[in-house]
Amino acid sequence: MDVVTTRGAEAAPDAWIEGIDSAEFKTLVDAKQRAIVPMMVIYIVGYLGLSILAGFGRDLLGIKVLGPVNLGFVLIAGNYVMSWVLGVAYARISAQRHDPLVALVIDRAGASRRPR
Amino acid sequence: MNTITVAMFVIILLVSLGITAWAARRTRTTSDFYAAGKGLTAAQNGFALAGDWCSAAAFLGFTGLTALYGMDGALYAVGPLVAFCTVLFLIAEPLRNTGTYTIGDVIMYRMRQPPALAAAIVGTIVINLAYLIPQMAGAGVLIKLLFGIPYSVSVILVGLGMIVYVAAGGMLATSWVQIVKAVLMLGAGAIILFLALAGIGFDPFVLFTSAEQKAGPSFLLPGNLLKNPFDEISLGLGYMLGLAGLPHVMTRFYTVPDATTARRSVIWVMFLAGAFFACTTIFGLAAVHYLGPQALRTGNPGGNLTLPLLAQYLGGGKDSVGGQLMLGFVSAVAVATILAVVAGLTLATSAAVANDLYVNLVKKGKVDERQQVIVARVAAVLVGIVATLLGILAEGVNVAVLVILAICISASANFPVLALSLFWRRFNTGGVIGGMTLGLVSSVGLALIGPAYLGPNALWPLVNPTVVALPLGVLGAVLGSLLTGRDAEHEKRFGEVTFRIQTGVKSG
Repeated sequence: MDVVTTRGAEAAPDAWIEGIDSAEFKTLVDAKQRAIVPMMVIYIVGYLGLSILAGFGRDLLGIKVLGPVNLGFVLIAGNYVMSWVLGVAYARISAQRHDPLVALVIDRAGASRRPR
Repeated sequence: MNTITVAMFVIILLVSLGITAWAARRTRTTSDFYAAGKGLTAAQNGFALAGDWCSAAAFLGFTGLTALYGMDGALYAVGPLVAFCTVLFLIAEPLRNTGTYTIGDVIMYRMRQPPALAAAIVGTIVINLAYLIPQMAGAGVLIKLLFGIPYSVSVILVGLGMIVYVAAGGMLATSWVQIVKAVLMLGAGAIILFLALAGIGFDPFVLFTSAEQKAGPSFLLPGNLLKNPFDEISLGLGYMLGLAGLPHVMTRFYTVPDATTARRSVIWVMFLAGAFFACTTIFGLAAVHYLGPQALRTGNPGGNLTLPLLAQYLGGGKDSVGGQLMLGFVSAVAVATILAVVAGLTLATSAAVANDLYVNLVKKGKVDERQQVIVARVAAVLVGIVATLLGILAEGVNVAVLVILAICISASANFPVLALSLFWRRFNTGGVIGGMTLGLVSSVGLALIGPAYLGPNALWPLVNPTVVALPLGVLGAVLGSLLTGRDAEHEKRFGEVTFRIQTGVKSG
């Protein structure tokens, strides 16, 4: 995971102009959006859906689905699992895909970078 | 009051004072004071985040809410974990890459106009005070209950503790006090979880069957606490976006060396705090199973003593050494919890006062390093004194609702302004002011005319107004931007901002 550190990275005043127009930067932003947007959709639907059902679907959440445990508690447990899975997945994708791209972008922008 | 509680509390106090003395000698620069020298590891910051984010409302409150109101308590507990998804995806890394010590830094970096910074300072201070007062009041009630010390003396003792931690040891002391507290809290949680499950043959399903038998069939349904359906949605929305705007939690991301470490620290806190939140639901149901709903409703205001009572029962009961030991341990951890949270809040507030208001707004950054540290320490003492006074005044006032209000303002005012500053090219100073004003005014206004303050005479039905205040805050931010005209230079500079958000590279 420690591929790159941006600690103390400084660039020429206009390095960003070339930076944001570079193909590498577009690849980075695209890669991040591809990871973040679906994950945001999943968790907004999962969590806000639970909150809306807690308000307007009270009978539905009361249906017993797992022995004495009702749908509401199953969905609550599901939200814990969802958060943990999304968190780990995002961290892995970031470390494997995004961090190397960030390093590449910084190199191309001509920023002086101090490796850790 | 029992001697074991006092003994454990004194040990925790001595350890945290030791930490402070050690940290004080290592705190020389502003980076040391506000950000622990930016040298924490992902695991350290993860534990500190857990210590910072789990207030007494989480440690004692969630268990109590589940024991008294069933599923609504579990809904209160899961939100604070899910909220870290927003932080992870949108805020942690960009914040680390663009700011130095505060949220105000990010707004000022983006807008470069003093009025925008002023709006950010107002947001931070209002949210922190709304969060700090109930913590102080809670500490007063709890210590009075545990040690028999009068309320105002208890609040002063807590105030003194947090002033010493923060003014002397800065972020380094605050972080380690939070780390120690998180370890204690998780340790207490693990012991209680083991004992609670051991009593039912490690079959958690027993808890659900038993809770329904003892507390009635509607106990496991939502709506026992939050009667209005829109309050459930406000709760969800408030957590989902509110955490990401809370200054005292977000500034923790400045204590690590880079964005990668900031991201990894979020994963740590998601497992540490998340596991604890899940446990509170089990503890609440276990309390109903072991103690019964009647016993829980007597002498247990708001359910806040549920966890200590459960721990005492699981340790062997009221008259046993084990019971006393467990009660003492949990009570001491509860006080440690409050101290760790108020220290974080005091530090974040003094950073807004010293770094944002004095150094950057009033003096335009022309203050030398040594003086900045002195100003920061003075600000910490002043903030601590104000918080202590407000805490004393808050005796007997319904303060629980202030925590909801703090998160509501954070979701409705701070979060939209922060997120739009990071991601919307067209966003400008007018938008910052519009969003902050409308978000803040609608949150506070609607809360004041709601049932939390006016009871049955409420002019508006919701305790938590996030569901309306959030759209209004966003509207204020968007309208404020659109109505104040375009600035080509400012929008062009957004490229630089975007580049820094993604890479952390400062230009020039």
